[in-house]
Amino acid sequence: MGWKAIHRWLGLVLGTLAMVLGLSGALLAFDALQQAWQPPATADDLPVAALVQRVQQTIPRIEEVRRLPSGVVVVYSFEGDQARAVRVDPADGTILGPYQASALPRWVKNLHRTLLAGDTGRWGAALTALAMLVLSGSGLALLLRRMGGWRRLGARVRGTLAQRVHVVSGRIVLAVLLLTSVTALYMSSTTLGLVSLDAAPEPEVASAVTGQGERAAADIALLRQVTLKDLRALSFPDASDPEDTWKLTTHGGTTWLDRTSGEPLATQPAATAQRLYDLALMLHAGEGAWWFWAVVLGLVGASVPLFWVSGVLIWWRARQDRPHLTNNSALAQADMLIFVASEGGSTWGFAQALHDALVRAGHRVHSAPLEQFQAGPGARQVFVLAATYGEGQAPAHASVAALKAGAAPVTVLGFGDRQFPAYCAFANDLDALLRERGWPALLPLERIHQQSAQQFARWGEALANALGEALTLDYRPRLPATTALTLVSRQDYAGIDGQNAAILRFAWPAQSAWDRLRGRGLARFAAGDLIAIVPPGSPVPRYYSLASGREDGFVEICVRHLAGGLCSTFLLGLKPGEHAQAFIRENPGFALPAGRRPVLLIGAGTGVAPLAGFIRRNDRRVPMHLWFGARDPARDYYFQPEIERWQGEGRVASVRTAFSRVPDGGGYVQDALRRDAERVRTLVAQGSLVRVCGSRPMAHGVAEALDDILGPLHLSVAQLKARDRYAEDVF
Amino acid sequence: MSKPLLTTLAAACVLAVPALAHSRQVTLTTQLKSYGGDGAYLAIYLTDAKGAYAGTLWVAGGKAKYYKHLSDWNRLSARDIKRLAGVTGASVGAGRKLTVTADLADALIDAGYEIRIDAAVEDQRDSPSEVRVPLTRANASQPQAGKQYIQSLTYQLQ
Repeated sequence: MGWKAIHRWLGLVLGTLAMVLGLSGALLAFDALQQAWQPPATADDLPVAALVQRVQQTIPRIEEVRRLPSGVVVVYSFEGDQARAVRVDPADGTILGPYQASALPRWVKNLHRTLLAGDTGRWGAALTALAMLVLSGSGLALLLRRMGGWRRLGARVRGTLAQRVHVVSGRIVLAVLLLTSVTALYMSSTTLGLVSLDAAPEPEVASAVTGQGERAAADIALLRQVTLKDLRALSFPDASDPEDTWKLTTHGGTTWLDRTSGEPLATQPAATAQRLYDLALMLHAGEGAWWFWAVVLGLVGASVPLFWVSGVLIWWRARQDRPHLTNNSALAQADMLIFVASEGGSTWGFAQALHDALVRAGHRVHSAPLEQFQAGPGARQVFVLAATYGEGQAPAHASVAALKAGAAPVTVLGFGDRQFPAYCAFANDLDALLRERGWPALLPLERIHQQSAQQFARWGEALANALGEALTLDYRPRLPATTALTLVSRQDYAGIDGQNAAILRFAWPAQSAWDRLRGRGLARFAAGDLIAIVPPGSPVPRYYSLASGREDGFVEICVRHLAGGLCSTFLLGLKPGEHAQAFIRENPGFALPAGRRPVLLIGAGTGVAPLAGFIRRNDRRVPMHLWFGARDPARDYYFQPEIERWQGEGRVASVRTAFSRVPDGGGYVQDALRRDAERVRTLVAQGSLVRVCGSRPMAHGVAEALDDILGPLHLSVAQLKARDRYAEDVF
Repeated sequence: MSKPLLTTLAAACVLAVPALAHSRQVTLTTQLKSYGGDGAYLAIYLTDAKGAYAGTLWVAGGKAKYYKHLSDWNRLSARDIKRLAGVTGASVGAGRKLTVTADLADALIDAGYEIRIDAAVEDQRDSPSEVRVPLTRANASQPQAGKQYIQSLTYQLQ
């Protein structure tokens, strides 16, 4: 069982109990905060003898003086037959008020410790603490895997709101949750008798009865020596028992003193287990800790329900995304085998399409997760569909240990995202391993970018040819729920060669917080993310780079007409007030991180859209430099008036244009870059980030030009990519 | 929750003597005050004429971790390895009543022995020797008040 399964099931099963402990713990933190908030008079260097002298003047018949970890001094005494406990000011011995251990009803503490179920409940609470420890540990392992290691732990978190809430809050509170679970377990084990706190039996002591007068506290050497800072408790000798003694408890241990002579009778050092317990109590309950720690503990306790709710939502969504295979033959009977390594479950959709197509072609097909990989003698073809998760790791459950040598042809199909440096890394490794171990292949490794249905269909054609069978891969992406966007305004460009274009602005639909938490409605988006438009009459979405973010309050894209393009024809035919179905897809790695590093924005054609979006929201006036390539300033200089205005406002530091279809227009955008080589080098040497958006040939040309320009710096585009400084959005 | 707690158990302490010897049953009834706190830990024990520990009659409260708060009993009985044998029960809630019985040898009565109770409540002050009452025929059936948590201790000799 992997970390993910442990984390999921433990969270689902014991999450509610953890929530009870978290919330009650958050309430209890108020007590610690309240104690830490009443700063006692600073009298830490006051000898205990002096303190006793002072309080004896105001309070008769004292039984005990305690200094709480928070520094508050409490005096227990009798008034007649009535026991009293008061807080005193150690500076002058005046009574500050009655003392109460907790401002909360007792059941809160009992709920936290025993779940209101007595001793059984104590075991339950301890078990929940153990579960919290394992949840925190497995959560850390999953977090590191998701973010790509310790170094990238602070990177931007992607995903649905529930995922972001889970990961971001995990990143913040995980260490404290680990600490509170460990301390809770230690304290539970002392209460349940698994660890003994006692050093040794207390010594038998008695004051010598001599008939002499009693020694005043002020005259006892040890009490003059010990200061308030070290005091935990001082028990006074009982008035009715001449043999009774003083009992002085400090952080170091306990000493009994003769009431007549004032001499120490016995001393017992505090047990290590007891010292550990005191430390655990401080860390867990915030008693005696700095007030800030109590606040931290309270917030961490209150965060547990957040984890639970977001975790359940994540689980529920993943459950709904699970594949539903029909006609899955047993391994021994199947002639076609499909093995899937998928983290989020999306790759199963492709597997299902392949499975169904092969079944329709008359094959007996067996589909299974990759960890069940094996190929019997009956297998004629084996397919492995492998997704790469995050920064190039294998999906959590995919194991390649079973890949022994074999004879059946194994074809690998990789799924990934070119934005990541380790594009389809797992599929690459898997393919290499298979060849190394002597497995033949029907088709060479193919990589599918961003779950492209078109690419998958093309691979299906190649497969049909190789098999010599008619085979149609009918992949219907399981799309996220779409939202209807209303066109608000459009700005048209005539374009060249009949390729007219427009900047389309849609209203941003309002949605409830609950919908957002469940990942319903239009997800949070920023300039540079993608919006998927599902045109009428096609199940396959088309992706456009967003020129606006959530903060702008509208959804803006730049669309150029493609001859025969279903979606661009549809979009360019929209009139204000009409609707388009859309959902957001994040574009990890392309968004700009926070910071003041200069940014080189390089775009061509409609690829300027996300760059314009970056500039529009550059409220902090980060130095952004734009290189923009178009064809004709009169026809396709998108965002021209806005770019000029933004330059005036200082949102963009410099703008360079190149127009390829007008005389002396400056050629392509990479030509403009070459002309500015010196400036580009200076900016990159300053640590600039680079964002490139446009067609694939344009991105290729830009990368070539930059490699030439950066040569003298001994830098390359590949190196910049590896350092997360260079990202492309190509179409 | 105001039902009085009625625990009737023969305390098998060192003082219990074979039935053929001269012994009598003592019933101890401890009524707690409504002090407003968690259940009290109580140790009911006997000391002899010299104040030395003579035996444990009952310990209410099961967590050994807290026995140090019953400090007199914990100290005096430290060498009695059987001090808990058959004489422990649950802690006693505020306002409730604890009734226990023990078989005591006749020789202990009117012989300078004392019944003592140590009491402790979480987050409140420990109360060693909360009650000290000489084990005499005269004191039987006479309620004795405690210092802090105990409303009254009454013992009956059979």
